[in-house]
Amino acid sequence: MGGNPTGDLLAHGIGGAKDLPIPLELAIAGAVAALVVSFTVLAVAWRSPRYDAATSGRPAPAWLDRLTSSTPWRVVLRAVGFAFFLYVAAAAVFGQDTLVNPFLGVFYVLLWVGLVPASVLLGPVWKALSPSRTINAVLARVSGTDPEVGMYAYPERLGYWPAAVGLYAFVWLELVYPHSTEIGPVRLWCAVYLGVMLIGGALFGNRFFERADPFEVYSSLVAKLSVWGHRDGRLVLRSPLANLDTVPVAPGLVGVVAVLFGSTAYDSFKEASPWVRFVQTTSIPSGLIDNVALLVFCVGVGVIFAAGAMATGVGPGTRRSTLPDLFAHSIVPIIVGYIIAHYLTYLVEYGQTTLVQLSDPFSRGDDYLGTADLAVNYWLSFHPDFLARLKVGAVVVGHVLGVIAAHDRAVRILPRRHQLTGQLSLLVAMVFFTVGGLYLLFAA
Amino acid sequence: MRATRLAPLALTLLLALGLTACGDDSTTEPEAGTSETPSATSSPTESTSEGESASPDDSTQSPEPSRPTIEITFDGDTVDPNGERVEVPMGEEIDLVITADRPGELHVHSTPEQEVAYEAGTSTHSLVIDQPGVVEVESHDPALVVVQLEVR
Repeated sequence: MGGNPTGDLLAHGIGGAKDLPIPLELAIAGAVAALVVSFTVLAVAWRSPRYDAATSGRPAPAWLDRLTSSTPWRVVLRAVGFAFFLYVAAAAVFGQDTLVNPFLGVFYVLLWVGLVPASVLLGPVWKALSPSRTINAVLARVSGTDPEVGMYAYPERLGYWPAAVGLYAFVWLELVYPHSTEIGPVRLWCAVYLGVMLIGGALFGNRFFERADPFEVYSSLVAKLSVWGHRDGRLVLRSPLANLDTVPVAPGLVGVVAVLFGSTAYDSFKEASPWVRFVQTTSIPSGLIDNVALLVFCVGVGVIFAAGAMATGVGPGTRRSTLPDLFAHSIVPIIVGYIIAHYLTYLVEYGQTTLVQLSDPFSRGDDYLGTADLAVNYWLSFHPDFLARLKVGAVVVGHVLGVIAAHDRAVRILPRRHQLTGQLSLLVAMVFFTVGGLYLLFAA
Repeated sequence: MRATRLAPLALTLLLALGLTACGDDSTTEPEAGTSETPSATSSPTESTSEGESASPDDSTQSPEPSRPTIEITFDGDTVDPNGERVEVPMGEEIDLVITADRPGELHVHSTPEQEVAYEAGTSTHSLVIDQPGVVEVESHDPALVVVQLEVR
């Protein structure tokens, strides 16, 4: 594909210049900090588990609990989410096939990247806004059924695997598919996604969205780093670490985190000049190389993590093969830290561009939302030193939170004599991810 | 109580990270060439295109030899440089000296994007990039990344 002279567009994503690489000293400082913190946590942290979903969290103010659990609040959020969905769908269907069609920016930037900060700050936003949940709820209401339950019970042994597959389908579209910035293929992807969601929702009810909607699983997972949680149906405020401990464990959780981290790392890696030169000089078709490389990154992250989690002694009641999913939540802060480092400029600057484009969904010079004349603020790009420090800070903080989360889980589920040694291999895997991420920020 | 011991420690480490980070900016990576002599100039066609590029409007080139120049040579389905990283100064004119066997277009993925159309033969085009970052310069026929400009 890429190598033949057909005049096809190269697989260049949307957005202009990429971030400058971070300085070497900063990458080394970050790596050393991550290493030191890891072993300090192991040496001095608590020896009996601190986080317990059944008791953690302070009740939120009563009015806030009443508001967020009230029907009007939920209906308003659903209506807002659905109106925005229809607006963007109109741009996708009736708009022109150009890079300034806001559909692309909404899909790749506001949805995919914006989901992370929105969920960290506000909780599971996609669950509240998701158009597939809305359509499912309306259909259930019309037919007089309960949207919570479908025709069948969701097969629990599938767990999060459908979401992992859906997430992989997204990152494949974004990072590998050569026509990722044309409206047609992206629209087709969205149509298939929506179709699968609606069929799944009808068959299995809302449980399907909790386990199989890639965006909801991603959003709700990241939302566990927010302060917002629920206990016995009440809204509670928790420390992010205590909240993270409440991630529902199910098969495939390790697959979800492996796709999220592996694909972001691949996105950094594929920009590196030596890799670009290799792809352009080898005789292997570039479409094949890109596919293999993305798969290797995702599977590699999963295998390294699973090996790190399983290389420990276990008690008689624990099956070793369940450990990767039991520890997978601890990778979530590392993912979020790395996503911030990798995508912050893109989100802030291309997000603003998307906001401007949203006023003109059909590329006719309209100004529906009054944002058409906004000037995009490029402050972040003009302060690369600040940006580099922010990135390394985000990666290191994510690493520290991840190590503490894994430590607490280890002292809960591992037998006492394996609690320290059993964590070592997982710690090594985490240090590898963090140092690898920092290396990519420096070298790519 | 263990937790309270941990928090200040993590904070200290983060502060230390911030302090060690203060002295950056002077970094020069080994593989990135200096702005005056980008690695692209090692192309075999250097001498010929050098002679021809003197003909366009650049009569001021001798008193101002520091103007960064990138030589690009298209030959069939290949291009030289082939995705190399070159450091260039922000906000200053860069010369692209393009030698091509057929006319074409370069897409400069800066913010905002720019395009450079070139003819067959050797031609010189000046380019200014006003924002720091890594800017890919791509050709679409053949579909290749020509050079990555590291703009500082």
